[in-house]
Amino acid sequence: MWYNNLMKLSPKFKIGRRPPVALILITILLITFFIVLNLAPVKKETKNLFYLISAPIQKALWKAGDNVSYFFEMVREIKNLKKENEELKLKIVGLLTENTKLEELKRENEVLREALDIGLGKEFKLLLAEVMGKDVSRDTLLINLGSRDGVFKDCPVINQQKVLVGKIGEVYENFSKVILVSNKESTFDVEIPNSGVQAVARGKENGKLLLDLIPREKEIKEGDLVLTSSLGGIFPRGLLIGEVEKVLKSDVMAWQQAEISPAFNLNELEILFVITNFK
Amino acid sequence: MKNFLILFFSFYVLALLQSSFLVHFGILGYVLNFILIITIFINLFEESQKNLGISAAFIGGFFLDIFSENFFGFWILTLLAISLLIKFIFKKYVRFPILRRV
Repeated sequence: MWYNNLMKLSPKFKIGRRPPVALILITILLITFFIVLNLAPVKKETKNLFYLISAPIQKALWKAGDNVSYFFEMVREIKNLKKENEELKLKIVGLLTENTKLEELKRENEVLREALDIGLGKEFKLLLAEVMGKDVSRDTLLINLGSRDGVFKDCPVINQQKVLVGKIGEVYENFSKVILVSNKESTFDVEIPNSGVQAVARGKENGKLLLDLIPREKEIKEGDLVLTSSLGGIFPRGLLIGEVEKVLKSDVMAWQQAEISPAFNLNELEILFVITNFK
Repeated sequence: MKNFLILFFSFYVLALLQSSFLVHFGILGYVLNFILIITIFINLFEESQKNLGISAAFIGGFFLDIFSENFFGFWILTLLAISLLIKFIFKKYVRFPILRRV
């Protein structure tokens, strides 16, 4: 309907009318003319003439077009670069996080390997713990294992080199406090295998221990290794504590004393083992 | 004659623009053919008895052929065919009762 309102068909409209012979002839003539023109060298000369005239304008236009398109390409590229930059930044953050995790795993792996090498796993039932915090002034540590993980009070805590670090003090659900061997509250039986001495070690704070109740007649030297003994029943026998740093002997004292420096470095403690069962 | 000259120079400039400037802004490798569009418009809005559309087709086709690598005459024949077809259709079958054609 709309079509009929806008347009009216011509009365001359008839289907099947023949095209005029003149039109066909003209078309054939034109096509023939152009075929001949394409074969003749005159086409090349005409084109060359126009190119010659247009060359300076064409050159300027080409340069202008090139510059404008380059500008738009740059704008588009800047958008892409921004997007790409954002994506790469995100990727870097992701990779850094992954890298940190891998570093942690690597360290943990190294510690476990070391522990395996000295056969800690065969000797004791161990739980791997990470140090969460340190209270150097009170000689305590906070580890990430608690009652939920099977940790209980007085469990011995060692490092991967089988060095006694301390024992579990307070136990929370997810965390535990480790009382270091150098803590004032810490007292336990030790032995010096070199001289066959049995003595009592006591925490002296600030990372030091004091060896007490050493019989006067026994000879001990600086550098002697101090190990745990099974007497007290708190710690398994043979855990390294440290070495004798200074022997304190005087005529007025009934017993000998010695200062011990622990075999672990408090600042390097990151991964520890909690012994939950020992023979 | 005046119209012919205007067409000649306009189409020359357009052909130059198309071949040197607009080629940088092609969409999917195609450049807008202004000469073809203008020729169609002239033929659409011209009275069917006048011949400016045919002249436009010839001049436009000529310049397009000059600046293209096609068979010489391809654009002349194409534009002439389009112009003649438009004229033929408008002359024979279409009337615009609302619009008065120029």
